[in-house]
Amino acid sequence: MGSTESSTFLERNEFLIRRLHSLAGLIPVGAYMCIHLLTNASVLDSPGRFQTAVYQIHSLGAALPVVEWGFIFLPLLFHGILGVVIIRGGLPNSGAYRYTSNIRYSLQRGSGMVAMVFILWHVFHMHGWFHTAWWLENVAHPFFGAQFSPFNAASSAGAALGSSLVAILYAIGMLSCVFHLANGIWTMGITWGVWISPAAQKRASFVCSVFGVGLAVVGMSALWGMKTVDQEAARQVEHKMLEAKLASGEITEEEAEEKSAPHAAEAETGAAQAESESDTHTGG
Amino acid sequence: MSDHAANGHSDSFEVRILRQDAPGESSYWERHRVEHEPDMNVISVMQRVAARAQSADGKPVAPVAWDCNCLEEVCGACTMVINGQARQACTALVDKLLDEQPAEIELQPMQKFPVLRDLVVDRSRLFRALTRVKGWVPVDGSYDLGPGPRQSRTEQEVAYPLSQCMSCGCCLDACPQYTKIELTPGVDESAADFAARQEQTHDSAFLGAHAISQTVLFNSHPTGKVNAGERLDVLMDEGGLQICGNAQNCVAVCPKEIPLTTSIARAGRATTFRLLERWFEK
Repeated sequence: MGSTESSTFLERNEFLIRRLHSLAGLIPVGAYMCIHLLTNASVLDSPGRFQTAVYQIHSLGAALPVVEWGFIFLPLLFHGILGVVIIRGGLPNSGAYRYTSNIRYSLQRGSGMVAMVFILWHVFHMHGWFHTAWWLENVAHPFFGAQFSPFNAASSAGAALGSSLVAILYAIGMLSCVFHLANGIWTMGITWGVWISPAAQKRASFVCSVFGVGLAVVGMSALWGMKTVDQEAARQVEHKMLEAKLASGEITEEEAEEKSAPHAAEAETGAAQAESESDTHTGG
Repeated sequence: MSDHAANGHSDSFEVRILRQDAPGESSYWERHRVEHEPDMNVISVMQRVAARAQSADGKPVAPVAWDCNCLEEVCGACTMVINGQARQACTALVDKLLDEQPAEIELQPMQKFPVLRDLVVDRSRLFRALTRVKGWVPVDGSYDLGPGPRQSRTEQEVAYPLSQCMSCGCCLDACPQYTKIELTPGVDESAADFAARQEQTHDSAFLGAHAISQTVLFNSHPTGKVNAGERLDVLMDEGGLQICGNAQNCVAVCPKEIPLTTSIARAGRATTFRLLERWFEK
């Protein structure tokens, strides 16, 4: 039934697509967010620790964009775009029916929309969306995008979060994402038939709440740690680490230039390095 | 007349009714004043409104149309939106309503079904959904099949609450995922063509909590489970179980307190396994 000749591919496979949407929210999107926030929280240990994690991610080299698109961007876009379709199909009524689960239904949709706008901006703000020179020069940098430099991880992230407005927007966006994931895991458990009885759903709701609060603490700590990082000290550590990587040949001069903060070399050499080294830098 | 005064209610109260003269026409609010009597329900209010046939400002109006039948909350016919919530008019007691909201009683037709007139709606989509999921046990045949298998006490205890559904539609009216479908007949369209078009549209729209719960009921029945796979396939068609957004209003408003969200989760598990079965067992 319902599969008349005029029905589209999306209509005929509605069940499967909705289940994939539900799954994608947890794996890989939700799982990625947990790793992302935990990795960022490593800055609380030290900027060097965070830089080590970033180097580890970038050690994937040419495979990194493939992993990013396959496991992060495409599933995220799928989840987000289908999410908009789902939101448009419903009519929230938590004003008339003020039940907790109904308010959560409305919040799930609200937080989803906030999360989508936030993530689009966040990826632009930190990475600029595209890495071609023309785009970075004419679009990303003029609109305060592409602020993050992988080989000056903590210092560039700290600088990007310098303004309180930016930090507050990050807190709102990140907490929306965390709520959306925690509540989404709870509804997912009902959708797939994991927790069935009202008692089981209540227990699952408690566990999801604890998870959500925990992840929110991790996320807020990471944000706080990133914002309050000593950028000058971080830069020096990052520079030393970069020098060591260059010396060992693990990364090339080209990659170093591409993934370091603009003018980072000059600032660091001015602060700590010998003049002869500065010559090799400008020469290279 | 003294007892209701003691309850704090005045001699008369206002009823605000959302009226509509015919399908597709615009709706309008109308105020009616009703003399207070002891132990009134919304049905008796509607009877007084019809008998008076006069709005609160004394203007003669056509009697307000409404539906009712059993008067004991087992038929579902008198379902309407009373003070913002879908429920049955027969069990909506006036004194309670005035305690909650002393100013007036507000009556609207159900919000998810096309209005035929005033508070009367066309709930054919609700019944069509039961046909879609094959909400019955097919036992008709040319010879006597003998007695069916026995149901254990535990099975009975799970099934009985689900069997209490009276198809009133409260779960659908309160559901944010169940959105109104109202078609208008074309100029040259015959009644039969229009009905067919309506049915086709309903068939790809959300089934609703009541139909999902009936699927679970008949799939757990010892004889009904013969067709379990067929019913699950309907739940996995367009407009099926996947539309549910877990707002859980259905279970909160159900007048028969049917564990609808438990049924939805059970259907979720059954369709998960059905999906695996379709992929890996066929």
